[in-house]
Amino acid sequence: MIAEALIVSAILFVIGVVGVLTRRNAIILFMCAELMLNAVNLSFVAFAKLHNVPVLICHCYRRRR
Amino acid sequence: MNGFFEFHFYLFSLLAIASALLFVTRKNPVPAALWLVNVMIALAGLYVMLDAPFVGIIQVLVYAGAIMVVFVFVVMLLNLGRSGISDFRSLGSRLGAGAVGLALLANLLVVQRQNIPRIALAPETDNVVDAVAASLFTDYIVAFELTSLVLLVAVIGAVLLAKKRVRL
Repeated sequence: MIAEALIVSAILFVIGVVGVLTRRNAIILFMCAELMLNAVNLSFVAFAKLHNVPVLICHCYRRRR
Repeated sequence: MNGFFEFHFYLFSLLAIASALLFVTRKNPVPAALWLVNVMIALAGLYVMLDAPFVGIIQVLVYAGAIMVVFVFVVMLLNLGRSGISDFRSLGSRLGAGAVGLALLANLLVVQRQNIPRIALAPETDNVVDAVAASLFTDYIVAFELTSLVLLVAVIGAVLLAKKRVRL
């Protein structure tokens, strides 16, 4: 699931870049920048799961499977 | 229960990418902002599926709540949105919206039938909020205080810029 999360993050980032490069409206440019920030956030969370960072990742959902 | 997280991971991924594509193709800023809200909420779902529920909640609170309200306020104050143009005019898009709604309803019913494990009353090491707060106030205290300083500077700058004339 981590590799897929990174792929989704890359796709969202590219969509944000394309938006920044092609749109003229300033507010939409800001929104595209926010989209890029969120894509990077997704990759951060994916890497946190990969390295099992205990601060962000909790296994409280899956423990009682 | 193993497939639950994987299935919803792919569902939210698809939702995020589709909403992002619709977001960059909108001409009007208001529907673009609403599609961006959709992206952020789908990303919150992705965070939960990646075992980071705290980040997901913060995503909904900060991005889908605060930042998008800021965007919509800016659009409203600058009068950027053209009224009267709706995205869902045609019969096809209405049918699509209805199909998405029915799919959501079916998904919710299926999820209710499956016996999802509740968030256990976890031992203290699993309390995410405690862990975040503890690391913020111990390991990352310098970065935390610097962030508060940056926010203070931003508040002072906003007040100074918003005043009509500045006498220093």
